Amino acid sequence: MTETRCPVNRILSEIRSAMESGALNHPRVHRIAEQLEELIDDIAWGRAGSDHLPAIDELLQEWLGLGEEASGAALARQLSAGISANREVFESHVKTHNCATGDCVKLAPAPCQMTCPAGIDVPTYLALIGQGKDAEAVAVIRRDNPLPWVCGLVCTRPCEFMCVRARIDTPIAIKSLKAFAAERAMSVGSYVNPPQEPPKGRKVCVIGAGPGGLSAAYYLALKGYTVRVIEALPMAGGMLMVGIPRYRLPREVIDREVALIESLGVEFRYNTRFGSDVTLDQLRKEGFEAFFFAIGAHNAYKLGIPGEDDFPQVIDAISLLKRVALGERHKPGESVIVIGGGNVAIDAARTCLRLGCQSVTIAYRRTRVEMPADVEEVEQAEEEGVHFAFLTIPKQITGKDGKITGLECVRAQLIQKPGSKRKSPVPILGGEFVMPADTIVAAIGQRVDYQALEQVDGLEWTRRDTIKVNTATMATSREGIFAAGDAVTGPATVIEAIGGGKRAALAIDRYLQGIPQPELPPVPVRRGRVEWTEVPASTKMVLKRPEMPLLTIDRRRTTFQQVELGFSENQVREEARRCLRCDICRRCGKCVEVCRDHMGIDALKLGYMDFEHPSETDFRRTEEKCIACGACAANCPNDAMQIIDRGDERILSLCGTILNRQKLVLCSNCGKVIGPQRYLDFIRKRVDDIGRLPEGQMLCEVCARNQSAKLHTDSMPV
Amino acid sequence: MNRFHKGQKIQIFKSSSDESWEPFMDSFVGLSGVITDPDTSINDPDALVEVSIEGKGTYRLPQDCIRPLDE
Repeated sequence: MTETRCPVNRILSEIRSAMESGALNHPRVHRIAEQLEELIDDIAWGRAGSDHLPAIDELLQEWLGLGEEASGAALARQLSAGISANREVFESHVKTHNCATGDCVKLAPAPCQMTCPAGIDVPTYLALIGQGKDAEAVAVIRRDNPLPWVCGLVCTRPCEFMCVRARIDTPIAIKSLKAFAAERAMSVGSYVNPPQEPPKGRKVCVIGAGPGGLSAAYYLALKGYTVRVIEALPMAGGMLMVGIPRYRLPREVIDREVALIESLGVEFRYNTRFGSDVTLDQLRKEGFEAFFFAIGAHNAYKLGIPGEDDFPQVIDAISLLKRVALGERHKPGESVIVIGGGNVAIDAARTCLRLGCQSVTIAYRRTRVEMPADVEEVEQAEEEGVHFAFLTIPKQITGKDGKITGLECVRAQLIQKPGSKRKSPVPILGGEFVMPADTIVAAIGQRVDYQALEQVDGLEWTRRDTIKVNTATMATSREGIFAAGDAVTGPATVIEAIGGGKRAALAIDRYLQGIPQPELPPVPVRRGRVEWTEVPASTKMVLKRPEMPLLTIDRRRTTFQQVELGFSENQVREEARRCLRCDICRRCGKCVEVCRDHMGIDALKLGYMDFEHPSETDFRRTEEKCIACGACAANCPNDAMQIIDRGDERILSLCGTILNRQKLVLCSNCGKVIGPQRYLDFIRKRVDDIGRLPEGQMLCEVCARNQSAKLHTDSMPV
Repeated sequence: MNRFHKGQKIQIFKSSSDESWEPFMDSFVGLSGVITDPDTSINDPDALVEVSIEGKGTYRLPQDCIRPLDE
């Protein structure tokens, strides 16, 4: 018989089931099973290379060699036979990255999860939050991100840009829901670390205690490695601590999450600078076998304009934010101009206001639309009194007696230059003007401090002055040295650094275990399939994303208290119910197609299913036309669309959204359910000519057949 | 065409000769996605932008291989 289920997928499920059941309790068997799972998962996702199958064979031989005493010997034989019998399918997965059955993509993560650089299973944790299971939600998040609370406050939330709900109205407030769950779980003491693997007795050194380093340290510690983190600053957090102001991210949030990582046995050595206080050779002599560099991008770019080096009142934003974070709270001047348009510029400007500066202006060479800063941060800065000077190009810093008096600027216009597809700011002739100021803050970008790594021979760098890595493994050009975070990407996001740290931890584990590395970056992993919550269609449409309550404007101008106050519990639970559960519905559109083209009903108004050209969505419209025939549910490949009889109703739902309820009609003879009236009318129209029942009678198939046969017999001439 | 902005729908229309382009990225050509992080600090046409590609995940890509879908 031809196997209809993908053998790769099936064998992967068999291993996972055995591991989850706890049957593989022999330490070596457990380790082998874990490695097999990783390798077969690579194959299922098209990430495997030519050495994957031989490595699987070796692991199976090792398992079989342990004999009958070891746990799972029967499973080992079963896996070995399964792989041998389906060798061609496995090889095809490796070579063509194709799964003929489609099983290997059937559980494809939702767009939000795919978008998250750390691959967090967003729909699963949102569903848990919706059910009030905050600690379970945090546990799901921490499978891929050890800093849920931090990210709940400062993540750039790429997930929300891909949120399918945005095609209907507004994206789910994923970031803020995460913050609520983490804070609540921490508050009630249910935010705990997962169990660690037994100690492996092998040492890994992480250089940098920023988000990338913390992420790698956490996942390595969970795998049983002895981890030491070296940090030049006097505390952990890196840019989280010294680059993000306290009104966005309170220090306690970082400290509490770092403490949990520390409690896994991770050793932190602060005030220790790699390259000067400790060297690679010294660390190797101490027994460290692998290294992870996450040193960030802490050096600021210079403005490159006259006067920049002539006045001490010209400071870079990163240094300013760092000094304030470390406790220095003196205002840099009275009248400040911040040059730049990114989040760092906004942070620097809002920090200056809180330090007591009289006037703070952000000078940006393009327009508001082109600002790379987060829109909400820009709005909040404006509310607090930060001024913006758009289309303003700084030309020269002027002053006398060692003090700045102003910034000479030129007005610009955006013009598309010949040969270029993008508009660039071009100075307007005669558009020179002077902006009075006594302090200039440069916030035009950061770069990696590569001098710290000069002693690492053979480390390759990109032309962008970042560490060159293989993005599938974060491995550098030096064996045993891995890197991630801003040092690799350039100044990027917290969540990218966290994702890079996790990816590197997995690669370091493989490196030290001697198993092959994936050829493609890992695809996010589904962490469960949590039951959906039933929501009426009208509620699903009517619920709106809540507005974030903020601190009073006076406190925002004067203190470093947290600005975003967080949603109430009720808002959080309601917001979670807006989620469309794209982890279950793949938006293949088969339901819409079947209803419209095959049944001729066209009851499903689900325009959000089209990514490129979404049209109107209204879950409420289904009820108007739907006959509850169930054709959509029968053709749904993921059981997202379901039709069930409950009590005296037939209910059609999509991932828990109740699209239609119809009263059931019972057979007037035997009492059996024969369907809703609309459905029966639809059928009757089509079979009207074949057999007509007496008026008012509703019979099931069996009773109708019996009655028809009886009539036929009675009327037959003898 | 303006610079890329957050939330913009784009298409990977060709491979890139930039050093950051890795062989596995060839499979992205023809796919659509959304800009999730343009260059964070500097308006540099040479900067890598963060793109979430439908069904593939999120990557930093050079700008010469990306074109907007909605402009």
